[in-house]
Amino acid sequence: MAQSYETSDFRNGLKVEIDDQPYEMIYFQFVKPGKGTAFTRTKLKNMITGSVLERTYRTGERLDAAEIEEAEMQYLYADGESHHFMNTESFEQIAIPSGGIETEAAYLTENIMVNVVFFKGKPITVALPNFIEDEITYCEPGVKGNTATGSTKAATLKCGATVQVPLFVENGERIRVDTRENKYVSRVK
Amino acid sequence: MAPAPPALDASSLRARAAVLRGMRAWFDARGYLELPTPALVPSPALEPTLIAVPADGRFLRTSPEMAMKRALAAGLGRVYQIGPAFRAEEQGPHHSLEFTLAEWYRVGAGLEDLITDTIDLIGDCAAALGLPRPRFVRRSVDALMGPGAPAEPVEWFRRWVEHVDPQLVGPTIVTGWPAWQAALARQVGDQAARFEVYLGGLELANAYDEELDPAVLSARWDASDAWRAAEGRPPHPRDPAFLEAVGRMPRCAGIALGVDRLVMALTGAPDIARVQVR
Repeated sequence: MAQSYETSDFRNGLKVEIDDQPYEMIYFQFVKPGKGTAFTRTKLKNMITGSVLERTYRTGERLDAAEIEEAEMQYLYADGESHHFMNTESFEQIAIPSGGIETEAAYLTENIMVNVVFFKGKPITVALPNFIEDEITYCEPGVKGNTATGSTKAATLKCGATVQVPLFVENGERIRVDTRENKYVSRVK
Repeated sequence: MAPAPPALDASSLRARAAVLRGMRAWFDARGYLELPTPALVPSPALEPTLIAVPADGRFLRTSPEMAMKRALAAGLGRVYQIGPAFRAEEQGPHHSLEFTLAEWYRVGAGLEDLITDTIDLIGDCAAALGLPRPRFVRRSVDALMGPGAPAEPVEWFRRWVEHVDPQLVGPTIVTGWPAWQAALARQVGDQAARFEVYLGGLELANAYDEELDPAVLSARWDASDAWRAAEGRPPHPRDPAFLEAVGRMPRCAGIALGVDRLVMALTGAPDIARVQVR
């Protein structure tokens, strides 16, 4: 029997299956009217389409665990429709349709190792490291002495991603980026 | 692994103290007698969805209601109590297993009197924090639930939780509850004579025009025990002293108000843990 989770197991990051689709729990809250039964409100993000579902479960109701596996693979290349990855031990190659991983794809560079996420054996997305470090290949010149927070400019990274950086950051510098929010963290010496 | 205890928030605890001071002043000014009753009680509750913490053959009270009503039967006309209540299996940003209830009863009063009193008391608590007095609107359960409300209780509450509760963001008095949610309130027509108070998106208080017939309450208790049995839970023992006293109790109305949630609503605290010492 497939593993399942009871409402008391609910937590952010839980991977569950609803209507044959994999979802990640991104919000949960216990709620109980004074004279009523207890429920848990949830928000669930579809791991393939990114759309968010709001569902309410009665205490004791169960959700099936999604059959999710991750495997470290090497990123090869993109063609018009898909991104291609290779298992470096078996040399087996797999492809993920580009539409589902647009955000993640910006951080993929040829030959880097990433975790590919499989749902029921089928590759659906990549799990990037939460933080990456990369070199800025283009941004407007820095404004000397401007360390004011709030003002930002766009910077293109070597991997191809574009992030907003503070004005004092220079072309050619290495920066640390939070890939979950596509956000500048700091300069790296 | 148990989560790390949250650091105490001094400004929330100061606000809580100011609210408690405002409440006591309100009760004192209107001749309410402070009536502490035991936290250990022989009977958990009539309501089928309240789950008590067992303690040494008795229970930690889910509310002080039954003991306070015995005092009304003994001749006290206005009583209040601010103290702990315990409800098992309730934990979250708006729920705490142990919380504080302000509960008061007024002989000779009806629901309209209690609505006026409650709005006034909450206004005094807001004023104690230098805040404007909340302006309440009234809504009926029928209007909030819309047509075709499910008859089955769990589905009824699922609709409430999904569609109604999120709308109740402003200060609101909710009236016209279905009879099957009467608990210890009188039934009038097909409705329970009770109201609830919402503030800051939180269910804050629940009031009854009190049922005075022990036979009516015993029949409801049987129905609650049947619900509990269907859920695989044991029946709740009854409190004979309470059921006997109800028959001698004068016409009265009473209300229980969550003190932690009132402080949350007034200070904007997102989590009940912030307004408690845990």
